[in-house]
Amino acid sequence: MSITQNDTIAAIATALGEAGISVVRVSGPDALPIADRVVRQRKELPSQRPAGMFTLEQVIDGERVVDQALVLIMRGPHSYTGEDVVEFQGHGGSQCAKSILRVVCNAGARLAEPGEFTQRAFLNGRMDLVQAEAVLDLIHARSNRAAAAALDQLQGQLSQAMNGIYDDLIALAADLEATLDFPEDELPDAVLPEIIDRGQASASQIQRWLDTWEEGHLLRDGALVVIAGRPNAGKSTLLNALLGRERAIVSGIPGTTRDTIEEDIVLKGIPIRLIDTAGLRETECEIEQVGIARTHQKRLQADLEIYLIDATLPPDSHEINNLSTDFQKRRLVILNKIDQANPEWKSHQNTIDIQLSLIKSVDIERVKDLISGKLVSGLDLEARPHAVISERHYQLLSQAKHELEAVLAMLLTSHEDEVALASTRMRDVLDLLGTITGRTYHDELLNTIFSRFCIGK
Amino acid sequence: MSHPVFDIIVVGAGHAGYEAALAAARMGAITALVTMDRRAIGRMSCNPSIGGMAKSHIVFELDALGGELARNADYTGIQFRTLNTRKGPAVRANRLQSEKSAFPERIQAVIAENKRIHIVEAIVGDLHIENGSLSGVVTEDGSILEARAVVLATGTFLGGTIHIGDQKLSGGRLGEPGAYQLGKRFSQLGFRTGRLKTGTPPRLHRDSIDYHRMELQPGLFPPPVFSRAARLDLAEKYGQDCSTWNNDDLHQVEPCPVFHVEQLGTPLKPWLPGDRQIDCYLTHTTDQTHEIIERNLGRSAMYGGHIESTGVRYCPSIEDKIVKFRDKPQHHVFIEPEGRTCVEIYPNGTSNSLPEDVQVEMIRSIPGMERAEFLKPGYAIEYDYFDPTQLYHSLESKIVENLFFAGQINGTTGYEEAAGQGFVAGVNAVRKIRGQSPFVMSRHEGYIGVLIDDLVTKGTDEPYRMFTSRAEHRLTLRQDNAKIRLRHHAVDIGIVAEDETLVIQRMADRVQAEIERLRSIYADGSSLAQLLRRPEMTYADLPNQDFSLTAEEIEQVEIDLKYEGYIARERTQIEKAGQLERIRVPAELDYDQIRALRYEAREKLKRILPENLGQAARISGVNPADIAILSVWIKKMRG
Repeated sequence: MSITQNDTIAAIATALGEAGISVVRVSGPDALPIADRVVRQRKELPSQRPAGMFTLEQVIDGERVVDQALVLIMRGPHSYTGEDVVEFQGHGGSQCAKSILRVVCNAGARLAEPGEFTQRAFLNGRMDLVQAEAVLDLIHARSNRAAAAALDQLQGQLSQAMNGIYDDLIALAADLEATLDFPEDELPDAVLPEIIDRGQASASQIQRWLDTWEEGHLLRDGALVVIAGRPNAGKSTLLNALLGRERAIVSGIPGTTRDTIEEDIVLKGIPIRLIDTAGLRETECEIEQVGIARTHQKRLQADLEIYLIDATLPPDSHEINNLSTDFQKRRLVILNKIDQANPEWKSHQNTIDIQLSLIKSVDIERVKDLISGKLVSGLDLEARPHAVISERHYQLLSQAKHELEAVLAMLLTSHEDEVALASTRMRDVLDLLGTITGRTYHDELLNTIFSRFCIGK
Repeated sequence: MSHPVFDIIVVGAGHAGYEAALAAARMGAITALVTMDRRAIGRMSCNPSIGGMAKSHIVFELDALGGELARNADYTGIQFRTLNTRKGPAVRANRLQSEKSAFPERIQAVIAENKRIHIVEAIVGDLHIENGSLSGVVTEDGSILEARAVVLATGTFLGGTIHIGDQKLSGGRLGEPGAYQLGKRFSQLGFRTGRLKTGTPPRLHRDSIDYHRMELQPGLFPPPVFSRAARLDLAEKYGQDCSTWNNDDLHQVEPCPVFHVEQLGTPLKPWLPGDRQIDCYLTHTTDQTHEIIERNLGRSAMYGGHIESTGVRYCPSIEDKIVKFRDKPQHHVFIEPEGRTCVEIYPNGTSNSLPEDVQVEMIRSIPGMERAEFLKPGYAIEYDYFDPTQLYHSLESKIVENLFFAGQINGTTGYEEAAGQGFVAGVNAVRKIRGQSPFVMSRHEGYIGVLIDDLVTKGTDEPYRMFTSRAEHRLTLRQDNAKIRLRHHAVDIGIVAEDETLVIQRMADRVQAEIERLRSIYADGSSLAQLLRRPEMTYADLPNQDFSLTAEEIEQVEIDLKYEGYIARERTQIEKAGQLERIRVPAELDYDQIRALRYEAREKLKRILPENLGQAARISGVNPADIAILSVWIKKMRG
């Protein structure tokens, strides 16, 4: 990504398509002169107005009026990017916005690259890296809870926590260095045990943040939930019940669903992609074989598998054996058609999470609770939403924790020469932690993060 | 313009000054060494001790490059010790006591032997500037000394004020005058200056001390020496097997004279290092000492409000120790003799600025010193220093071309730090007038590189002292491998004899070959290299040893293999850091053009003018976002 700080950038900041209004955002040193050039001149130019003021203007291309827009002036550093910013709030629909963007570019702005507005905000010190990432999360949030978590992160909760851990470890590293640079007799007694205690406290703090990854992953990326089972177990009926509408064709004929069906729902704040699959059985039908192959593929990717069993059939020891020995996967096992159950199922209660009858009226909220409970076992979704770490943070934090634990292990040995080595490793811990908030400079890192943004942010 | 008489003028003949003059002269430059008193050249203002944690590394590096400090300390040493032996090779350090009178005598003899050095006794009052360019210095009596480049190494003498309690004296050292014109002149030229403070303890008569009440601290034999010259002399006398001087297990080796070492008894080699070592002693302050200091704090120059400048945080005065570490019931006091013939004792740890009567009471409250007799009182000294961010890495001033600054004048403390800078300034003054590129040691090449980069990049507002923790790549920058890692610089500078650098190269090659051999030979399913990496293993425990290796080479093999993983880790870090280091900041870059830079960052960058992005990133107040902006800007400038 090429970034040049001294020019002025512009982009359509709202989604394209039919809408009430659309916003074109312009940021950079020439934002105000450009605004002056593209509005029909009245008694006062936009650049002469105080910041924060809206005025209705005619945006012109030469003599032709291309749109009427509210023009909002924000002067740097008190703006999102920290530069002078002008927003044109024109009529919705892609044509007006495109016209405004064109005249703005003709007047000296250039098209912004993805993430460039936020990158400028970061470069101008308006936010740190973790906060910048939160902007991305907020844009992409697919549920209230995900948005609330991102907002917390944007407001600096995660940054503060990371900076706190970093500062603690800087102090620890300094004390460790002191044991090397000063003779023993000038140091307070028992300095090493105290350093080890503090290091362990920091390690468990890091662990607490690592524990939020699972929730962060679910909130950011959503969960893939696959409904699997043998033909005619009631998979499509369950899909429809969860969606609250008749999405999949339901029939009593085994093998009705031949292809996978995907739908999005939100359960307890977690965005979920729900996949109904072709029933698992031996079949000669080529189309169904392809469908079953897809089922297997989806089952491998799933965060959670809902496995339905038809209770009218006697238990199949092979099927039950598979369910109880494959611990790789999170799984919710549902025994369906319990109203007509084969009595032999009574002795297999251990394998089953819930028994119900989807055809008879069923408490679908209870099923939803079970699904979200399985997805986030150990997490408290009733708790106030809070900042959660991302995959990038997870990688860095877990490496940092690994290094920190290695340092502590070295300090616990009786070999004194390990202290010098440990303090060398301690620098790696700090480097990893500093990379999270951008306290350590990495050129590629910045580019990687900002290139994930859509244009206009 | 008349042809200058001198190529280089060095002002000041302390540890920075003599290294600068010797380096310049050894490179072939006609050099004037300007001093107030030729008998004071190389004098040790504080304790006659060289080395110690991290400072020892600088001494080894100077020896590797062709400096004099290591040899001078070794051949005038009267007690040799190794510190941090158990903490691993990266932080191991040598420390020795020199004979206080022999140290400057030897330096003076070395200078006298060099026909290119001319000693001029004078006080410098001004720079001689003709047509806007530096062409020498003007002495306070008005005579002009012409030269093409000038190295300023005036130590604590610029604007020096000595404090003993509420008594104030002018001077650069007790009993020696300071220099007061030059400092004023520099302020007019636009140099930023500041005031720093340092201090020294009283000196006591050795016969007035009761050593029975103190803990004995004997020297080591064979002596851990700094210089290759001393090491060779010792090997000649005692045999090759004794040459691993840093190993604990060799302490008890009996001298086994085989050869006669030439020249002993001259000022250059007054005795063989390690001969007739003398003992130091350890005692401590008492409750009574602390009470006396507390009671008299108001009369101390520091706490009585007479001194406002910043002192050495890491080498605090005894008033500081009592006030800042109130929970510590006692502090160590090392009793260091200043020489075999000299009657002065240096009570290390009692530096202070109290009135003399309080000093006497305070010292006599320490066990073993109840009847201590004073020869000189302790005192604090305030002096001018120049903001070192006004210098390039070559130590040349950014304000006046061909003017170099070295030593305490740049805000450092310690003989070693001063000598390191003096050597670099001397070399670069000569290279400058010859039109050659400056000699700059990187941070990953040596402590001298770390020292100078810290000074010119970050500046300092307290006396700067070297620590191993200042170096990012501590395991790479060991004292034992200094001559190997700095060999290419030594060759480039050209002071170290060519056959000497070839010997070092051969040693490095043999070490490398042996490491490869150990990797390729197996015993019981493990390579010998793997066996050696086990904590309890030494080279001597291995089967199939190469008996032709010297003890020094074996030490390198052991360290390189045992710490291989960590050294590799540091190498990765160095390469990562090197990416920024390689991006040069164009000299014509106008920071005011870059509006995205924050005000603080822009001001700092304008002041320090970093030479590359790596240096820019180390400036305090310049954050990663600023570096990102600069990086983009530089890419754009290149098109």
